[in-house]
Amino acid sequence: MFTYFFSNQRNNQERFSKTMAIDTRVLKRMKESWGEVKKKRWAYIFISPFYILFAIFSMYPIIFSIYLSFTKWKGMGPKVFVGLANYRRLFGDPIFWQSIRNGVIIFFLYVPIMTFLALVLAVILNAKFVRFFRIFRTMLFVPYVTTMIAVGYVFRIMMNTKYGLFNMVLTSIGISPVPWLDNVWWARVSISLLIMWAWLGYNMVIMLAGLQTIPKDLVEAATIDGANPAQAFFRITVPLMRPIILFSVILSTIGSFGLFNEVYTLTTVGDVPGGPMYATITPLVYIYQQAFRNYNFSYASAVSCIYFVIIFVLTLLQLRYFGREY
Amino acid sequence: MKKSLLLILVLILSISMVAVFSEVAPAEEAPLPSGKLVIWSWAPNELWLDASLDGFKEEYPDIEWEHVSYGTGDVYVNLPLALTAGKGAPDICLIENSHLSSIVEMGGLLDITEKIQPYIDNLATYKLKECRKDEKYYAVPWDGSPVAMYYRRDVFEKAGLPTDPESVEELVSTWDKYYEVAKTIKEETGLYMQACTKANNNGRLLEMLLWERGLGYIDDEGKVSINSPEVVETLEFIGKMTSEGLYSDEVDWTDGWYAEFKSLDKPVASYIEASWMSGIFKSWLAPETSGLWGIVHMPAYEEGGVRASADGGSSLIITEQCQNPEAAWALIEYALLRDQSVINCFVAGDYTPSLVTSYDSDVFKVKDPFYAGQVIGTMFNDIMLNIPKANIYTAEYAEMSSLTVPEIAKYLTGKQSAQEALDNAAAAIRAATGRK
Amino acid sequence: MAVITESTLIKTKTLDKRIFVYLLLIPTCIFMMLPFFWMLITSLKTMAEVFNVPMIIFSHNMSLDNFKVVIDKGVWIRLWNTFFISFTATVLRLFFCSLAGYGFAKFRFPGRDILFSVLIASMIVPFAVTVVPLYIMMVNFHWVDTILPLVIPGAASAFGIFFMRQYIRSIPDELLDAARIDGCSEFSIYVRVILPIVTPGLVSLGLIFFMQVWNDFMWPLVILKTPENQTLPVMIATLTGLAGTNMYTLQMAVSVISITPLIIIFLIFQRRFTTGITFGAVKG
Repeated sequence: MFTYFFSNQRNNQERFSKTMAIDTRVLKRMKESWGEVKKKRWAYIFISPFYILFAIFSMYPIIFSIYLSFTKWKGMGPKVFVGLANYRRLFGDPIFWQSIRNGVIIFFLYVPIMTFLALVLAVILNAKFVRFFRIFRTMLFVPYVTTMIAVGYVFRIMMNTKYGLFNMVLTSIGISPVPWLDNVWWARVSISLLIMWAWLGYNMVIMLAGLQTIPKDLVEAATIDGANPAQAFFRITVPLMRPIILFSVILSTIGSFGLFNEVYTLTTVGDVPGGPMYATITPLVYIYQQAFRNYNFSYASAVSCIYFVIIFVLTLLQLRYFGREY
Repeated sequence: MKKSLLLILVLILSISMVAVFSEVAPAEEAPLPSGKLVIWSWAPNELWLDASLDGFKEEYPDIEWEHVSYGTGDVYVNLPLALTAGKGAPDICLIENSHLSSIVEMGGLLDITEKIQPYIDNLATYKLKECRKDEKYYAVPWDGSPVAMYYRRDVFEKAGLPTDPESVEELVSTWDKYYEVAKTIKEETGLYMQACTKANNNGRLLEMLLWERGLGYIDDEGKVSINSPEVVETLEFIGKMTSEGLYSDEVDWTDGWYAEFKSLDKPVASYIEASWMSGIFKSWLAPETSGLWGIVHMPAYEEGGVRASADGGSSLIITEQCQNPEAAWALIEYALLRDQSVINCFVAGDYTPSLVTSYDSDVFKVKDPFYAGQVIGTMFNDIMLNIPKANIYTAEYAEMSSLTVPEIAKYLTGKQSAQEALDNAAAAIRAATGRK
Repeated sequence: MAVITESTLIKTKTLDKRIFVYLLLIPTCIFMMLPFFWMLITSLKTMAEVFNVPMIIFSHNMSLDNFKVVIDKGVWIRLWNTFFISFTATVLRLFFCSLAGYGFAKFRFPGRDILFSVLIASMIVPFAVTVVPLYIMMVNFHWVDTILPLVIPGAASAFGIFFMRQYIRSIPDELLDAARIDGCSEFSIYVRVILPIVTPGLVSLGLIFFMQVWNDFMWPLVILKTPENQTLPVMIATLTGLAGTNMYTLQMAVSVISITPLIIIFLIFQRRFTTGITFGAVKG
C-alpha cells in the first residue's frame, strides 16, 4: 500500500480509464449534472463508516491518551492533573529506553536476513524450474496463518536449555548447548527466529508478486551478456524491487517495536515479561505491563504517546529517505 | 356472672398469647443468609477451601458457591479489570498478601471492619498488615506462610553430617554456619544447597531473608530503603552462595527445578520456603521422596536471632459488587475464622492457619511420615508467632519487585555490584512511586 | 562445437544452481514445518515425557488424553467463540470496506484526496497508542467481556478500504452508468453490480481478516474475562497448571485445535489468500 506514493501503476490505470472515457464523455457530462449532487451525497455516506469509527475508536482514544498522560490515575477514583510528571519520569525510565533499544536491536537481528532470504526464495520460486514449487511455496507460507501464541509456546519448549529439541540436536552433533532463553543476547536471537519463522513466507509472497512485474527479458538479456545469477540478482532484481522491499521493511519496523505475543510466550518468566533482565521487552509489552499489571493507566498513556511519536518519525524518515528516489 | 368471668379469662389469655408471640416473632423473622456466591481463586486452593467448608451446608443450607479457577497470577489482572469496569467481579476472591495492599488501595473491596473486629486478636498479627488500610479492614487472612528450611536427610547423611532435626537445627543456626554446611555438602557429594537462578531470579529468596531481618522495600516512614547497608549485605550473601557454586541455576517452577526435588540420587540438599510448599511436595511435586525430608528453622542472621520469616500466604476479600454480602461473610467466617475449619484445611492441604486459637489442636502434633516422623505442625505454628514486621508487601509491591528483580539478576550474573544493583532499584522505585 | 559447449555450460550451471537452490529451500522448509510437527506430537505426550532425558520424540503411550482434558476445560466453547467472533468481524469489515472502497473508487467529491490521505496515515497509528483509552471506553460503554469491542472498533480497516478501492477501480464505469440510467439507487448499484463483481476480492480480503481476528491475542486477553467468553488464543495462554506452571501438553492440544481450521481454510483457498496479500501490497 505504500506504493500509493509511487505513481507507476496509478498512471497506467488512469491512462486506461481515460481512453475509455473519451467516447462516453458527452454522455457522462449529461448524467453528471443531473445526478451530481445525489452521487456526491452517497459517496460521503459510503465512506462515512470508516471516518466515524476512526473518530470514535482511534482519534478520540489518541486525544484521551494525551490527556491521560498529564494526569495520575490508577483506574478508580479521581484523575489528578500532574502536568509533565509522567514525561519527566519517562525520559529517565531505564526500562522504556531499554524497550526502544530492544526494538532496534531485534529489528537489525531479523530484518536484513529475513528480507534478503525472502527475496532470494522468491527469485528461486519464480524461476519455476524447481520441482514441486507450489508445495514449497505452501510450506513456506503456512506459518503466516498460524496463531502466534500457539507457536510461541512450541518454540519455548524447543528452546529449553536443558531439555529442548534445539539443544538436543546441537549436543548430538557436538556443539555445546545454547542458552536460548536464559541469556540476554540469545533471547533476542530466539525472538528474532520466531518472527522470521512467522513472517518469512509472507514477505516472500509479496516479493514473488513484485517479481512478476519485472519483465523476464531483462534478466535473460543480462544472462546472455554474461552476467552470472548473483550479478543479475544484485544489479537488476534488487533495484527494481525497491518499493516492495521498502514496504516490507517499513512493516517490519512497526512490527519489531510492537511485538507482544512473541514476548509473552517466549520470554516471560512468571510475572515479569520481556526477560531475561528486560532484554526482550518492547514498548507495547511495557505499556501492557504498566496499564494492566501495575494499573498505572496514566503513565502507560505517556509511554504510548512517546512511542507513537517515535514510530511516526521513523516511518516518515524511511519514506522520505528511501521513497524519494522513486 | 360466670360468663363475664369467662370473657375476662379469655381476654387475659389472648393478650398474654399475643405478648408471647410478639416477642418470639422478631427473632424468627431474621432469615439465614442465602444465595449463590462466585469465588475466584487458583488451583489447588478451591480444594482446600472446600475442605474448610466441611459442614457449612448444615448451618447455611441456602448458600451455594461456585469456584472459578484462574491460572496463578491471572487473578491479579482480572480482578482489578473487573473492579474498574464496575462489573464482572466475583463475590469473593482469593488474593495473595503480596498483591493485597495494592488491590485494597485501588478500591472496590467491601469494608469488613466491624465484622472482623471480634476476631482480630485471634489472628496472626503479621498477616493483618496487608488486610488493613487506615484502621479499616478489607480482607480476612487465610493461610499463614511461615518460612523454614526443608532439608534432605539422605543428602546430609551422604555428606557425613547429622540428619536428625535437633542436630541440624544447631548446624545451621546462623547464615555463616549454613554457608559452611553448604560447602561441606558440595565437597562431599557435589550437590547444591538449593536452587537460586541468576539470570531469571525472581527475588523471593532475598525477600525472605530481608523479612527475617525486619527490612523491606521501604522503611516505617515510607521512604525507599532497599539500598540500605543491611540489605546490600544480605544480597551479597546470596551472591556469595551463587558465585561459589553452592546454589544451582534452575529456574523456579520449571522442569529442571522440579527434578532437583524429585531426584533420589541427585537432589538439592535443602530448600528455604514457606509451609505451603509442603502440600505441594506431597501432592504432585515429589511424593516419591516421602520419608527423606526434615524441617528446621531457617538460619538466623546472628546467633540467637530471629529464625522466622514469611513468603506468600493469601487472604479472602469480598467485593463491593457482591450482591449478597451477608452470605459472603457467612462463608468466610465459617471457613477462615473457626478453629475446626482451619484445622480441616491443614489436614487436607498442609496450610498453616492464621487463626492462632486453633494451634492447641492435636492435629498439629501428628508425626508426619513425609518428614520421617517429625512433628512439623507445631514448628510452623511456632514460627508463625515469631514472624517479624517487615515492609515487603507494600501497596506497590508488584512494581517494586519488578524493578528490583532485574537489578538482582544483573548482580548475580556479574554485571554490577550489589550496591549498584540496589541503588539502581531504589532510584527506579523512587521514580515510579514518587516516594523518597 | 559452440552449441555443445554452451549447452554443457548451461547444464552445469543449472546443476550448480539446482544444488544451491535445494540446499536453501529444503532446510528452510524443514524449519517451517518443524514447529507444527512438534506441536502435534507434544499434544499426544504426557507432561513427564515433554522434557524427558533422553529425548522422546514419539511417545510410547500416545494418547488423546490431553485433548480430553482440554475438552473438559471448555475448548469447544472457545472454538465456537473464536469462530463466531472472527466470522462476524469479517463480515462487518467486508461490508464497510467494500462500501468505502466503492466510494473512493467511483466517486469524485470535494476533499476526496485529503480524506484518502487521512486514511493512509491512519495505518501508521499503532494499536499500543489507543489500547489504554480504548479499554477505558469499553468499560464506560459496559462492553467489557462482550464481543462488541472485538468486532466494532476495527470494522472499517484502512487496509481493507485501500484494497477494495484498487479492486473496484478496475470495474468499467459504463456498467455503473447503465445501472444508474435504469434508475437504480446508489446503494442498490453497490449491491447488485459491485458486490457480485468483486466477490473474488472479497473472498481474498475476507480470508485475511478472518485469520487476523482469529489469531488476535492482546485485545481479547484484555477484554474477555469470563472463561466462557474467551477465544482460543487466550485459552492457550491462560492454561496454567498448579503454581503458575505451563501445562505445555494441554497448551499444545488447544494450539492444535486453534490452528487446524485456519490451515484447512488456507489450503483450500491458497490462491485467494496469496492474491489478497499481494494485491494490497504490490498493486497501486
